Amino acid sequence: MVLVLVLALIAAGCTAGRQEQAGGEAGSSEGKVLTLTLDGAKNREAELQVIAQYLKQVGIDAQVRVWEYQTLVAEAQKGTREAYATDWGSATFTPVDLAVPKLETGGRGNYSFYSNPEVDRLFKEAAATTDEAIALEAYKQAQQILYQDAPWIFGYYLDAIEAASAKVKNWQPSMDSRINLHDVELEGGDTLVVGLRADRILSLDPAAYRDRDTETVIRNIYDGLVTRTPDGRVVPEIAESWEQPDPTTYVFKLRRGIKFHNGEDLTADDVVYTFERILADDGLDGQPSPRKGLVEPLQSVEKIDDYTVRMKLANPSAAFLQLLVHTQIVPKDYVEEVGSAGLSQRPVGAGPFRFVEGTLDGQIVLERFDDYYGGSPDLPPVGPAKVKRVIFRMMPEPATRIAALQNGEVHIIQEVPPDLVAQLENDPDVQVKVTQGTRLYMIELNTQKLADPRVRQALNYAINWDELLQELYKGHAHRVATAMLPSGFGYDESLKPYPYDPAKAKQLLQEAGYKVD
Amino acid sequence: MRGGWVLRRVAMALPLAVGIVLVSFILLRVMPGDPVDIMLRGGGTSSEEEARALARQLGLDQPLPVQLARFVADLARGDLGESIRSRQPVGQMLRATLPATVELALAALVFAVAVGVALGVLAATRRGSWLDRAVMAVASLGVSMPAFWFGIVLMLVLAVGTGWLPTSGRIASQYAGTVPWRTGFLLIDTLLAGNGAAFRSAVAHLVLPAVTLGAELAAVVARVTRSSMLEVLGAEFIRTARAKGLHERRVILVHALRNALIPTASVVGLQAGVLLGGNMIVETVFSWPGLGRLVVEAIFARDYPVVQGAVMVYALTFLVMNLLVDLAYTWLDPRIREA
Repeated sequence: MVLVLVLALIAAGCTAGRQEQAGGEAGSSEGKVLTLTLDGAKNREAELQVIAQYLKQVGIDAQVRVWEYQTLVAEAQKGTREAYATDWGSATFTPVDLAVPKLETGGRGNYSFYSNPEVDRLFKEAAATTDEAIALEAYKQAQQILYQDAPWIFGYYLDAIEAASAKVKNWQPSMDSRINLHDVELEGGDTLVVGLRADRILSLDPAAYRDRDTETVIRNIYDGLVTRTPDGRVVPEIAESWEQPDPTTYVFKLRRGIKFHNGEDLTADDVVYTFERILADDGLDGQPSPRKGLVEPLQSVEKIDDYTVRMKLANPSAAFLQLLVHTQIVPKDYVEEVGSAGLSQRPVGAGPFRFVEGTLDGQIVLERFDDYYGGSPDLPPVGPAKVKRVIFRMMPEPATRIAALQNGEVHIIQEVPPDLVAQLENDPDVQVKVTQGTRLYMIELNTQKLADPRVRQALNYAINWDELLQELYKGHAHRVATAMLPSGFGYDESLKPYPYDPAKAKQLLQEAGYKVD
Repeated sequence: MRGGWVLRRVAMALPLAVGIVLVSFILLRVMPGDPVDIMLRGGGTSSEEEARALARQLGLDQPLPVQLARFVADLARGDLGESIRSRQPVGQMLRATLPATVELALAALVFAVAVGVALGVLAATRRGSWLDRAVMAVASLGVSMPAFWFGIVLMLVLAVGTGWLPTSGRIASQYAGTVPWRTGFLLIDTLLAGNGAAFRSAVAHLVLPAVTLGAELAAVVARVTRSSMLEVLGAEFIRTARAKGLHERRVILVHALRNALIPTASVVGLQAGVLLGGNMIVETVFSWPGLGRLVVEAIFARDYPVVQGAVMVYALTFLVMNLLVDLAYTWLDPRIREA
């Protein structure tokens, strides 16, 4: 079975190569019909089929091909494909981990091979200033350019839909995926069960993962210097306050009296150690941390006294505090003793819950830490958690999560599919909450193969996204004009997505030399 | 004679196991997709330098022959390496998930054999009756229903609808932390803990996934058992047994059934390996933290060491199952021992 699956994936890759050779270059000479293959994973197939129909209506010979996603990404990175449905998540609420890696020249996620020196300059300008007004203006100009260059068929983000038993009180989903159980109360029970969408989480060491769902669990066991409110503001947590004596220096004052679950006091030594093991090339049992890039441009952390640390940045960064939200503080003495693997097996943090037992792919049991310092004063209620125990269960199948919720076995579930929302909303024992998702879905265009921006603009005009998304996602998908999210800093609300205009699409294709009738 | 025969079967299995390991190593590496790229994609701000550093640490920047040599050398020491994504030792991951998968597969096997043989015998002894036609119709349905759909339907009817059974997981949440991990088989660990309520909870949680996983095999077993029973019931020695005045129940259950089970044993033996290896969908639907789910997720993440380790487990399992089937043959039909 495993070998069959492996063979199937390889066959997909090999077939792609053969077909590419046979097909040759896409038609690009005067008066030819534009031929285009839309590639995507199974979860985007329905959408791509409809888009292919719209493209045919403006004279494009479009077809759809379904791939295993990782194989598609590998092929796209080789430059063999033309148009491919991809997605990319943002964790920092800034373009720093969305538009920039996707569209900066040579960016890690830049599968479209897009390159514009002016956009690169604007991104660097925005990232290097601490003046929000300057950064905002730079991002707005970048969006204007991206809109015209149209390296993608610009797409949409989905609502993040979560559901909970009616017995759950004071529960508010957060855009950044953390299920904040510190504030939650459970009527008539002391054990709250959360159904996660993941197959497994990657680690319980805050320096050894790079995954949204893993972070959901970790941030209930550990706390960071700062945290984020549900509406996206950065507020103090372990840090009592901070100041910025110059553009590349931050000085954090730590709160006193914070204890780790093993009884040790949290001090500057723990903060320094936490960041140094992420920055080092051998910080995790001799291996580098996959999170090093997430604290960029941090250069060094030094202890000033037991409750003060100074951080030096390689360059000024407006996004730095947002990045800090995602680094949780670990106890230096304990981690030096047990190592990264030991910390993941039996985590010790300073968060509202302490680890009892669990496996990364089954369920994880936490219990309330009664000596908790209270968490961020900006996120009431302040004090120990309300529920006595929390259990995270890995439940990858949406229908199963919903069944378990309705059966009373689970109290909060992640990610309700849009087409099942109505079913849950009719259940008086269930509450459904919708918040803004932070993953962008787009169709990237190979700008080396589709080099004429008029063609790419035409592809945007040709598609009736509003009708398509309403049908597929029942109002839970929202278009964006370029490559930024309204939940993130720098989003230009005045820029509207490409309207559906098949006549203009045809005109642009003709101007680019294609036959459309 | 029997000992020599067993040794010859084992000797044949060894080169097969080696071949499977080598082929799977090569196929994994040929598969498109870069595990380092997949790992670092989640945040988006990493540099090429960071990617190269990670690849170097994980040994993925070495030529394939070097990687293979290292893999074989590690294997010789019983070291399966570490997961690329989670850094956990692969051996530890397999030990944690394999008992769950085996427990589910065995439960499904018990269900499939018990129900399948019973239905097959029932149908054969009432050939042509409405009961025979009903059993065959149900068997056809069982073969053609996808496990995914069947599992969710069962869940909605028997868990959400009636509340008789839990929807998913291996044990109820209130027993978390009360049953020490000893074997990984919760049915055994709950008994060792002396916790009767936890044991009943583990049994209840096993019902839906085991029925879902075993349904198709039960249908196959029913059909095979029915046809071989019909063949056996028409044989001379059955007529002789009846002529001796033996009770009909004894004729059917002792003389006929034992002979009829030979092809059934063959089917069950081959399918048992499939139960172990083909349960990924059921494990996903029922949130069962087993090996099948682990390996599918590892494939999509291109987590080579985990897939490699799991493939070896599956390969060894199939070989062992085939060996057991052959042994079962010799017990059911002594004439084979002379071969």
